[in-house]
Amino acid sequence: MKQIEITLKVNNKARRATVAPRLLLSDFLRRDLHLHGTHVGCEHGVCGACTVIVDNLAVRSCLMFAVQADGCEVTTVDSLGSINKLHPLQQAFWEEHGLQCGFCTPGMLMVAIELLSKNPNPTEDEVREAISGNLCRCTGYQNIVKSVMSAAKKMQAVTEAAA
Amino acid sequence: MFRRKGRRMKPAAFEYERPTTLQAALNLLEDDGGKSKVIAGGQSLVPMMNFRVVRPDRLIDINRISELDYHRIEGSELVIGALCRHAVLKESELVNRACPMMHAAYDWVAHGPVRNRGTLCGNLCHADPASEMPAVVLAADSVMVLRSSKGSRTIPADQFFLGQYETATRDDEILVELRIPTASKGQGWGFHEVNVRKGDFAIVAAAATLHVAAGNVKAISIALAGLGSHAIRLTAVEKAFIGKEATDAAFREAAAACAGSIDPTSDIHGSAEYRRDLARTLIYRALCDARDRCS
Amino acid sequence: MTSHLEDHVIPASRQREKARDNLKWIGQDMKRVEDPRLLTGKGKYIDDLELPNMAYAAVLGSPHAHARVKSIDISKAQELPGVILVFTAKDAAEQTAQVASFSSPPVPQYCMAIDKIRHVGEVVAAVVAEDPYIAQDAIDLIEIQYEPLPPNVDPEKAIHATGDAVLHPERGPTNCAYDQEFKFGPVDEDFAKADVIVRRKVKWSRSGAQPIETVGAIAEFDEGTGRFTCYANTSFYNVVNFVLAGALKVPPTHLKIIPTIAGGSFGSKIFTHKHVALTCALARAAGRPVKYIQDRIDNFLNCDAHGSDRIYDAELALKHDGTMISLRFRVIDDYGAYFQFGVGHHGNAMAQVTGPYRINSFGMHLIAALTNKCQQGAYRGFGSEVTNFLIERMVDAAADQLDMDPVELRRKNLIQPHEFPYVIPTGNVYDSGNYQAVLDKALELVGYDEWKRKQGAARTAGKCIGIGVATCQERSVYSPTEWWSLNPLSSPGFALTSVPEGISLRIDSSGKIFAQLNAPFWGNSPETVVTQILAEQFTVDPSDIMIGYADSDSGFNGFGPGGSRYTVMVTGAIVTASGKLKQKLKKLAGHLLEANEADLEFRDGAVGTKGVPGMEKTIAELALMGNFFRMSFPDDPDFDSGLETTAVYDHPLSSQPHPERKHLGIFYPIMGHMCHVAVVEVDPETGKVEIIDYVAVHDAGTMVNPQTLGGHIRGGTANGIGTALFEEYKYDSNGQFLNANFADYGLPTVAEMPKDLKIGHLETPSPYTEYGIKGGGEGGRMGAPSAIARAVEDALKPFGVRIDCVPIPPDKVRELVRTAQSQPIRSA
Repeated sequence: MKQIEITLKVNNKARRATVAPRLLLSDFLRRDLHLHGTHVGCEHGVCGACTVIVDNLAVRSCLMFAVQADGCEVTTVDSLGSINKLHPLQQAFWEEHGLQCGFCTPGMLMVAIELLSKNPNPTEDEVREAISGNLCRCTGYQNIVKSVMSAAKKMQAVTEAAA
Repeated sequence: MFRRKGRRMKPAAFEYERPTTLQAALNLLEDDGGKSKVIAGGQSLVPMMNFRVVRPDRLIDINRISELDYHRIEGSELVIGALCRHAVLKESELVNRACPMMHAAYDWVAHGPVRNRGTLCGNLCHADPASEMPAVVLAADSVMVLRSSKGSRTIPADQFFLGQYETATRDDEILVELRIPTASKGQGWGFHEVNVRKGDFAIVAAAATLHVAAGNVKAISIALAGLGSHAIRLTAVEKAFIGKEATDAAFREAAAACAGSIDPTSDIHGSAEYRRDLARTLIYRALCDARDRCS
Repeated sequence: MTSHLEDHVIPASRQREKARDNLKWIGQDMKRVEDPRLLTGKGKYIDDLELPNMAYAAVLGSPHAHARVKSIDISKAQELPGVILVFTAKDAAEQTAQVASFSSPPVPQYCMAIDKIRHVGEVVAAVVAEDPYIAQDAIDLIEIQYEPLPPNVDPEKAIHATGDAVLHPERGPTNCAYDQEFKFGPVDEDFAKADVIVRRKVKWSRSGAQPIETVGAIAEFDEGTGRFTCYANTSFYNVVNFVLAGALKVPPTHLKIIPTIAGGSFGSKIFTHKHVALTCALARAAGRPVKYIQDRIDNFLNCDAHGSDRIYDAELALKHDGTMISLRFRVIDDYGAYFQFGVGHHGNAMAQVTGPYRINSFGMHLIAALTNKCQQGAYRGFGSEVTNFLIERMVDAAADQLDMDPVELRRKNLIQPHEFPYVIPTGNVYDSGNYQAVLDKALELVGYDEWKRKQGAARTAGKCIGIGVATCQERSVYSPTEWWSLNPLSSPGFALTSVPEGISLRIDSSGKIFAQLNAPFWGNSPETVVTQILAEQFTVDPSDIMIGYADSDSGFNGFGPGGSRYTVMVTGAIVTASGKLKQKLKKLAGHLLEANEADLEFRDGAVGTKGVPGMEKTIAELALMGNFFRMSFPDDPDFDSGLETTAVYDHPLSSQPHPERKHLGIFYPIMGHMCHVAVVEVDPETGKVEIIDYVAVHDAGTMVNPQTLGGHIRGGTANGIGTALFEEYKYDSNGQFLNANFADYGLPTVAEMPKDLKIGHLETPSPYTEYGIKGGGEGGRMGAPSAIARAVEDALKPFGVRIDCVPIPPDKVRELVRTAQSQPIRSA
């Protein structure tokens, strides 16, 4: 079967590849680009562990083919922060015990990023709505909601201080 | 959705086309013999491909056909193009005004990331028996616009949904547009659903519209999803209730008549009897809400 | 004590570190050491690892529940470009041996189906290919002819099956794997003198852990050494590795397992022997490193970790005034196609089968059935969460039958604080507790009286609000006698009595402390907890401590997480190990400071003379001297170079079962306790249940890190809510697993959880463990199903509905309402 050449931006870096049409975006990111932050939990679009941002929208990367991301801008958790400079959202998860095994966490972070970029001051109900498509088996979710709320406040404070 | 014997993972191989115009897409489908699948959001199609339950020889990706990405009012209709995403429709003030029932039903449809990519027209073509929007568009008297390379035709919604994952769309056609009569002044609506978890498909969903004049039913529509085969309009029951008084008792009778007329299936989430029982409860509640919303 | 316990002795405590208030690190909500790498996507889970020249495996799972393979044609699969190997039963039979089974007599199992297939999804063939997509293409091309056999799905029927319907004919002509009766105390006499006998049939359906990460392994076979190296998200590699090596037909020295962190386990990854064995066998046969990650469906069908699947016929004997006297039941447990842990889940349940109540005697008739389903394994509670549900259902039933308030009935029977250590009829001990205080705190936190008032008003308005109170035990730190103590006396099997936890510690020349754990990370917080204990012991800062994970070559004596044991056990090992190192540091310091060791103390990372500030040496200075300057110290072996040690900690309080099993000894005595209160609103017309308020108060002894313990309470409660309301592995009459995917199996999302689950802590330290810590990892799952079931039952009281099963999804609740409506309301 014919391979397709794609060019896309991943975490702000231009990437070019030749891929089989059936290669899932999740596999492309993990195996071809060695970006392991995005996790695969079910491959049928339910658990949300594979969530990435494509052109500013949170999407399930296991339900997209890499060829469909041609020309797109993809952001994964791998670019969110580093251990010496955590993103405020990551810092909030750390402080509020928003993770235990960490496997669902990248997906949670990415839907939270999308939420906060559109709605910097969400209510708890809005946070719950945003994460309702991500399964977590460890935390019972409440600390995740708390983490996002805490991050929102801190990020708002920074925005206001900068203004 | 995943009932099958034996299973594989990862999609089987396929050819991939990404036309940039509608005409190009339609030309690809001409003489295709059903070997291709059109993909827009892919939120229903790709899981099935990941399980190899669906194995198209070719995928025709219409995501770049920007001419299909719209929703607007045209005259007395809300028209929605093939590429209009669920997320856009859910947030749309236009939709909220023109079809508040759809706006409300969107609270029940999947989750944010799925709505970001999934399209309404794609959802309708996929025709999952437990999906909410088929019931909504049926109750709203919608019309489907299908195009092939040879031309265009329209089908009313109640002739569109034929069976489990089966619609009237021919192999060489794309559902390019959905046309919904905007909610008329004084029309009330109701939408009720029971599912297991938030965002899950419906066990049963009921959508209803009502027009009441001087306490009597002037117009009524009732649709159900989740019955096992496909979403349906309860036309026979509707006809019998035109002119009747819009009372609780009448609605109970209507709901019971609907429940008696349907043939739901049993599955892991409930028996046929449970579904019949739910249909009765949810239709009643939807009709009551619709009456309360009639201004 | 009644006569059956007359030889029962509670050994003295071996506690060295008392519970106390003036601790610096223990009791702190310290941010987790594990988190930065997890938050930045650098966790290195098994599927993140890439080895050079690595190939990928995929498996073909049987579509039949019970069948023989008549013929298999792998030629087309082998010819597909990119396919390296197709591995069949014939290869497995030649190249592998049985994987471990702890049951006695064992039920033989291999890494895949060999002589016949025993459940849907059991592996029939495997493919190794350059790419996981090609591997699946090859699976597609394998042609198999099956000869179906009669499937067993109903345990009551399965135990009477004969002929071709028997799953393991070589073990005996029956699918009944176990049938035994036990009496602990004068059960018959107690029932004979009872005023009231409450009877119920209670059903607990199978569900399972379904962590978001599935099971995975990457194996490599070194042809130069004949050794396997296998990366895996498994556990038990530091205790039963030699058995796994046997399954691969290599000597015990020839398998090295390197643990990766696990994305959740909840018991399901405790011993993934089949998966590791298959991956290793494939690597050896393929001559390439092989990665085999279970897909989600595989994880449902073939994980060997299904939960309990039981039907109880139970009786509770009481006096008129509600005093409980005796409990007995018949239970049949559907174990699925294999029997890896025997009836260990029921041995486990014996730890707390009479709940937190004073009950004089207990009797049980236990039947284990083999059926054509995936076998049971470990799932958060390991069978005790089920008997928690059973006893709470019986207590609530008794309250209804006696027309007593369920909270007051509990209060009347709860063991009193002065009665600890308390011996229950099975012989297990409850070390400490204050159940009344936990109950009071929970009722206060939820606003119980206010909710009762609101409930009354709601009922008048036609709304169904219900309140459920559950008082449940959470045993922690198991002794392995629970795995075999219920085995037939004629074949007790491997009567293991050791379940230690080891640690190795060293201090490098810069004064940093390095600890190697012999157990994996599951989402529990081993690095954090160990860091806190070490910081406490050595008075250093957490940043001076580095934690690593030993592999099976360098590791030892580590049973790891499970049974809520890890924190207690590793702390015990740390206390021993750090004691040794601290003694040496004091020796070195004593020499350098010319001080008496008895006058020295640890303070702020230094060793100094008590009451003499400034007269001290930092640990870093001592370490430098101790590692490099032997000749600065006396010629005495105590001053030999180096600051490293190992320690192994055995179970702090256990004893053997009685030789005739009059009792089971002490095997799970570090007893936590919880009170859960659930408030629900039920829509009786649809069967939908909404949790509108929820409180969980837990007593897990001294808390090392209240925040992480709270995480287990919350996460465990979420699991319990799933178990109660949504989760069931559904097999049809042909043994087809109908909902083996995340869309159809109801793991709770955030929307199913109460918006504000309030948790509370109480600490009654254990007199037997270091610092008085108790385990709390199984958390809320031990109590939530009971609280929810009662709340729903209470909500539907006007209809006379009884809840005697889990799960209760909407269709089940509605069915119960309709059935009750078609019958006259039962009198209490």
